[in-house]
Parts: sequence; C-alpha cells; structure tokens
Amino acid sequence: MDNKTNTINKNVLYIIFLLILLAVVFTLSLAFGSVAVSPVKVVKALFTPEAGAASNAIIRTIRLPRVVAGLLAGAGLSVAGVILQGVMNNALASPNTIGVGSGAGFFVMLSIMLFPKKVFLQPVFAFAGALVATLLIFAIAYFADASRITIILAGITVSSFLTAGINLLKTLDTDISLNINSFLMGSLSGVSFGDIKLPAMGIAVGLIFAIIMARPLNMLGLGDEVAGSLGMRVGINRFLLLAISSFLAGCVVSYAGLLSFAGLIVPHICRKIFGNDARLLIPCSALLGGSFVMLCDVLSRVIFSPYEIPTGIIMSFIGGPFFMYLVIRKKGGRRLHA
Amino acid sequence: MLEYRNVSLSVSGEEIIKKANVTFKNGKLTAIIGPNGCGKTTLVQALNGVSKVTGGEILLEGQDYLALKPKERARNLSFLPQVHNVIPSISVKTLVSHGRFPYLGFSRSMGSEDRKIVNEAMGKAEVADLSGKGVDTLSGGIRQRAFIAMQLAQNCGFLVADEPTTYLDIPSQRKILDIYSALRDEGKGAILVLHDIAKALEIADEVIVMKDRQIIKTGSPEEIINSGVINEVFGVSVKRLKDENDGKDYLVVL
Repeated sequence: MDNKTNTINKNVLYIIFLLILLAVVFTLSLAFGSVAVSPVKVVKALFTPEAGAASNAIIRTIRLPRVVAGLLAGAGLSVAGVILQGVMNNALASPNTIGVGSGAGFFVMLSIMLFPKKVFLQPVFAFAGALVATLLIFAIAYFADASRITIILAGITVSSFLTAGINLLKTLDTDISLNINSFLMGSLSGVSFGDIKLPAMGIAVGLIFAIIMARPLNMLGLGDEVAGSLGMRVGINRFLLLAISSFLAGCVVSYAGLLSFAGLIVPHICRKIFGNDARLLIPCSALLGGSFVMLCDVLSRVIFSPYEIPTGIIMSFIGGPFFMYLVIRKKGGRRLHA
Repeated sequence: MLEYRNVSLSVSGEEIIKKANVTFKNGKLTAIIGPNGCGKTTLVQALNGVSKVTGGEILLEGQDYLALKPKERARNLSFLPQVHNVIPSISVKTLVSHGRFPYLGFSRSMGSEDRKIVNEAMGKAEVADLSGKGVDTLSGGIRQRAFIAMQLAQNCGFLVADEPTTYLDIPSQRKILDIYSALRDEGKGAILVLHDIAKALEIADEVIVMKDRQIIKTGSPEEIINSGVINEVFGVSVKRLKDENDGKDYLVVL
C-alpha cells in the first residue's frame, strides 16, 4: 500500500508543479509585450475588469485572447501527439510529422476560399482535413504493415503534398483574406476571443475525451491481441482515439495555422519525465504543452520587439534541433515500445 | 464447462480447423499439445476472437459463448496470447490493472475492490515486489508472470494461456505452471497450450493431442501415454521411470 500512496503522491506533485508553471507562464505572457505591465497589475486586471487603466485594456482585449489561444494550442497539439504516438506505436508520430497539420491547413484554406463569410466552418473543415490525413497515414501503416520509418516517410510525403496544395490555393486566389505566411508558420498574432470561441470549446471537449480514453490508449500499447483478449473493442477504440487526436489538431490549426513541433517534442519530454502511462501522460502533456506554446509566443513578441515574428518560427528553432537529437539518439535511447 | 461443438475455424479466410469437438472442465487443467503448425493456437484463438468461427458453436456453462459482448466474455474467460512482440514500458501495476478493464464503467476508473484484486493477483504471480518496475525492464520469466498477474486480475472461471512457458528458462517455466496448477486447485478451469510433452503429461488432468489441424486424441495423461499416440504424433516415446530414492514416478521423453 505504501508503494501506491507514494506513486499517487508523486503524480499529484507533478500535476501541481505543472499547474504552477502554467500559472507563472500565463501571468508572464500577459505581462510581456511591446508595453510591459508588471505581473501584479496583470493579476489585478484579470480579477477587477472595471478598473479603467490603459494597461487593463491591453491585457484583457489584446493579450488575454492570445495567451489563452496559445495555452489551448499547446495543450491540444501535445495531447494529439501523445495519442498518435500511442495508437501508431511510433515515437516519431505527431500531428506534424504525419501530415495532420497540413491536412487541416489545406482544408482551412478551402473553407476560407469557398465560404469566406462562414468562420464557424473553419474548425469543422480543419477537423475533416486532419482526420483525412490521419486515416490515410494509418491505413498505410496498418494495411501495408509498414515499419516506423515508412510511416514517417509516408507522413512527410502526404505533408508536402498537402503543403503544395496550400501553396496552389494561395497562388490561385491572391485576394485570400489570410496572412498566408503566418498561417504556414503558425502564428497567434491578432487572435481575438471571437476567433477562438468555437475551437476553444472543441479543444476543451477533446481534452476531456482524451483523458477518458487514456486507459484504452494504454491497452493498445499491449498489442491488438492482448487488448482484444481483455475485452476491448480494438478497432472502434483506435478509431475514436485517432478521431480525438485529429479533432484536437484540427481545432488548433483552424486559428493558429501550422504551429509546428509542439505536438512532437512536448509528448517526448513528458515521456522522459513522467513515463508512458497515458493516464498521467495526457494531463501532464496538456499542461506542459500549454506552457511551452505560451512561452514560445511571448518570446516571439519580445525578442525583436517592437517587431513580432510568427510563434511557429521560435518553436521550430527550439523543436528542430530537438527532433534531430531524437532521431540520432533513437537507437540507444529509451524507446516508446520495444 | 466450456464446450466446442462441431467448431470450424478460419484465419485470414483460410479454413484451418474442421468440426472440432472438445470439452474443457471447471477445476481441471487441460493441456493442448502437438507439433508446430498443428492448429493448437487456432483452436484456442476461437476464444479471444482472433480465429473466426465459421461453423458450429461454443457453449460456456450451456450459454452461447460467441454471443457474449467482448467485456462480458473477458469477465468469464481470460486469454493470455502467445506474447509479446510488443513490450509496453509501463509499470507492472499499471499492466496488471488492465486486467480490470472488463469490469470498469465509462469513466474507466478503478474502485477499492478493483485495487484489492489487482494486489492479490500480483501476489499470486509473485510480482507484488516489482509493482513499480517498468515491464520493459524485467527478464522474460518475470515479465511473463506480470502478464499472468494481469490475466489473474480478470478473475475469470476459465483461464487460457497460449504457450506461456515458451522461451523461458526451467525455473521460470516451473513457477508459471505452478501458478496455473494452483488456480486449478481453486476450482478454475485452466487451458494451456504447451510444447513440453513430459511437463504437459505430468501436470495436466486432461490432455488434447493435435496433429495436422485435427484433434487426434483426448484423455487423461495415463490414457494418452498408454495409447501410444505420442509416438504416432511426435515420433518419440514416453516412459515412466521410478526414482529409487524418493519412490516417485517421473516421465521421460525418449
């Protein structure tokens, strides 16, 4: 019994630590920017909306939606990554490496071109695009019994195919009401509460379902026959998990564009620290992912202030080398599943 | 009682077994033996849905076993496949707790009763001390016991294990067969696919001998030994030798 109490206490401590980290980064993200506001004022502005100082307006109407958008983007992408890695039993899977991001992006572009007025359609299209790309890659992995590296190659191919599609749409429609560079890089610039209302609800729902599905995700890690013998409907659970993952990634892409790497590196860092039990991994990845994207976003605003660079660039500068490190180290390192 | 009545089985569209009839009893340990590729695994995999039943019926205590929902099935019969090309890097305790899956509701969280059963299962399989260790860090024999603990946590009347001792060293094999023998003594029905002929004849109450995708003979170990079927199927003979020191009989495959 001691053993169990210790594990639970340790897990609770992890979560508390990550929550504190999230709160700190959240406050700092609101404080930093072209106009610096002291963290104390930030907290005041959050809890007393009536106070009329100019800094309050900046924080509540400009920075707050952006910071919330970053938090949700990080949480959504990271959990999407955790699920993809688990379902495909592949440590290199993530919304980015298997083309889910560009699938969602391509469909968002379509939505913007075909139904420019209907903003609410963007998350729907993003989800559809993400699901199409996910199922395509999964079909390749499943029916061709492809090796891990084949899956990643297929993902890169699908990804570049769809990115070409995005560029084609951009070339065909020069009037498109979208900052295409920011979209391709992934950016949280100029996000308003109106933009994120629907996707934010989607991400919240997706995260709840991800937590509920943590045990089936763990069981898929035992292999299909063992999971099936334990009374799990393997096919339907796998599909549900892929759908949740696509839904999360799609919601994020619909407002943040192709924010790279969060979905790959955050799950990896979390696996190293917290282990592979999805019941702990999913909440931890959500919390750390939220902090990570908020942090990248604040850097993107501050580094070349007053100029702002797309958040995705910062993330790629951090994520790129980390990904290389993983690829190089993979053989000797701790594997997701042997 | 678990009965196969004229059961035909196919895997990936190919019919492997035709009209098999066999009965597994509660409180008995049944061993299935036969050369590689004789259909042993296909025969038992009817019970976890991997081989497809194309004809006949399977009855569990008189009820249609194949009509059970997956979770219901997993509450009545636990099946440990011939693992384990996938070795999860989760703790032993988490692995064993998966055995409670068929009992969990929508929230998938375990109650205190579930936790108690998980702890008991780890105790019986002698992996309680390792509950916090990663399954991927264990040696083959101990890892197999962790999987068996997961199977025990399912708390079923029938337990099936497909070659649970293959690739393991002798002490590990013995320990694992002891676990299943103890379960039999508790009144559970154990069904084991085994490679070791002498061991199977020594520990089983009933033996099923298969060859060329057919059940050749079923009976008590004594009947199997006396019938000469072992020689017919495996091309080896089994002798019973008495140890003069302790007066016990030992089976030797020659």
